[in-house]
Amino acid sequence: MNTTTGSYPIDVLGLIITILLVAVAAGMSYAMRLGVHRQMLWATLRSLIQLLAMGYILKFVIEQNNPWLVFALIAVMILAAVQITMSRAANIPRSVMPSVLLTLTASVILQVCVVTELIIRPHPWYAPTVLATLSGMLLGNVVSAVAVAMSRFFADMEARRYEVEMLLSLGATPFEAAKPSIVSSVRLGMIPTISQLASSGIVLIPGMMAGQVIAGADPLTAAKYQFVVLAVISALTLMADSLIMVLIYRTSFTAVHQFITTSAH
Amino acid sequence: MPKVTTHNDRASLRLPSLFRRFSHHASDEQTQYRTLFADLSFTLERGDIVDLVGPSGSGKSTLLTTLAQLNPHASAELYLEGQPSTSMSPEWWRRQVAYLPQRPTLTGETVREAILMPFTLRVHRFGDDGTALTETRPDESMLRRTLDTVGCSDIELERSPQDLSVGQQARVCLLRTLLTVPQVMLADEVDAGLDEDNADKVGDMLSYAAREKGMAIIRVRHREADGRANRTMRLAAGVLTQVEGGETR
Repeated sequence: MNTTTGSYPIDVLGLIITILLVAVAAGMSYAMRLGVHRQMLWATLRSLIQLLAMGYILKFVIEQNNPWLVFALIAVMILAAVQITMSRAANIPRSVMPSVLLTLTASVILQVCVVTELIIRPHPWYAPTVLATLSGMLLGNVVSAVAVAMSRFFADMEARRYEVEMLLSLGATPFEAAKPSIVSSVRLGMIPTISQLASSGIVLIPGMMAGQVIAGADPLTAAKYQFVVLAVISALTLMADSLIMVLIYRTSFTAVHQFITTSAH
Repeated sequence: MPKVTTHNDRASLRLPSLFRRFSHHASDEQTQYRTLFADLSFTLERGDIVDLVGPSGSGKSTLLTTLAQLNPHASAELYLEGQPSTSMSPEWWRRQVAYLPQRPTLTGETVREAILMPFTLRVHRFGDDGTALTETRPDESMLRRTLDTVGCSDIELERSPQDLSVGQQARVCLLRTLLTVPQVMLADEVDAGLDEDNADKVGDMLSYAAREKGMAIIRVRHREADGRANRTMRLAAGVLTQVEGGETR
């Protein structure tokens, strides 16, 4: 996106060479019978098309510079993220969809308020370059955390069904009975986020910082940006992870606080 | 609302009607329902030990989980000392009408932690109206004394619950519920799979609870009658009948 001097734009030849490299890797997988070549090629093709499409959309939205268009784009991104979360989480009841929508929307709104308007303070305030890109990065992170946490929660409650029954029979509230599953699910959902935060800068130069540096930005500015983005995304992911648990744990119980196993959903 | 005896130390649990839709999970997409029983009704008095017998699959466990409001497939009209179950939270009801599952499930690092777990629950810290309770948590000496009284002196409080034998685990689970002093205890085959010695100790603990603490107890058993029950009821083909002279199966 950056067209300042010192950036190195990628031409069609560059894209072709990239795809060739993926093809070579897939060929090796095929030769070694690793069985991932098909998925790898398919995923590469998808990512190319999706990213180019996003590039065109962003370009359009940036050129129009209209706040409504920016928020419309973010709304569509949230809806797509809900769909991806629901399909990625295994064995979860469809009834949690409104909770997922609420969680994702809340985290994006929080991010827009805090990061964009208090930390970065762009001009104009709805600057699509900042709002749309950061929302995309946040959603990507929140989607995987929430999907992992939800799958784990329902599987763990199922595995703990005797314990849950025992706890309820002694007068535990649904929250008390679900708490061990909530804790382990939130933790599991947060593992990639926390390890990414802790390891960034040592060996790993995260994608956003790398991109900015390649595009010619001052490495220190890029580092500050990257820190803010990583830290805020992590914090918001933790909030989203906790919020989704608070919203969905009740779906495992009836109105009179009886446990429903997942198979009964 | 039916009038129920409440004078002095007489408490009763009434169950005027009960309906259950039984879900049969032959396959997940095909959920079938059948009625196990409907319109059962009985009264339980303080200090009662009632044995519930009947063929497998007749719904004895279902009846117990229904009484504790734990069964999502059943609906029942329940009263405790004249108070309908709907007048209190499910937690408050279960604190007084405690279901004891067949499978021993213990949590925590030590036996002590496992036994004291119920006292960490909200229902033991706050009343149903949200006021703080001044309930005394069993202290070390009381815990030890109770263990000895109910014939559990072989159980060390410092051990991990996972290291206990099955018989010991069953007794620790029973003790955990006993110490919360519910008014009604619903023991679901808690002596199943135990050796004679452990089964006998479990029986003694339940007798102690009924005699000394005035708890009303329903036992589902698959063993020979042990003479501890003062009533036996039989559940078969959806009908609950009083058995005269006791019966084992």
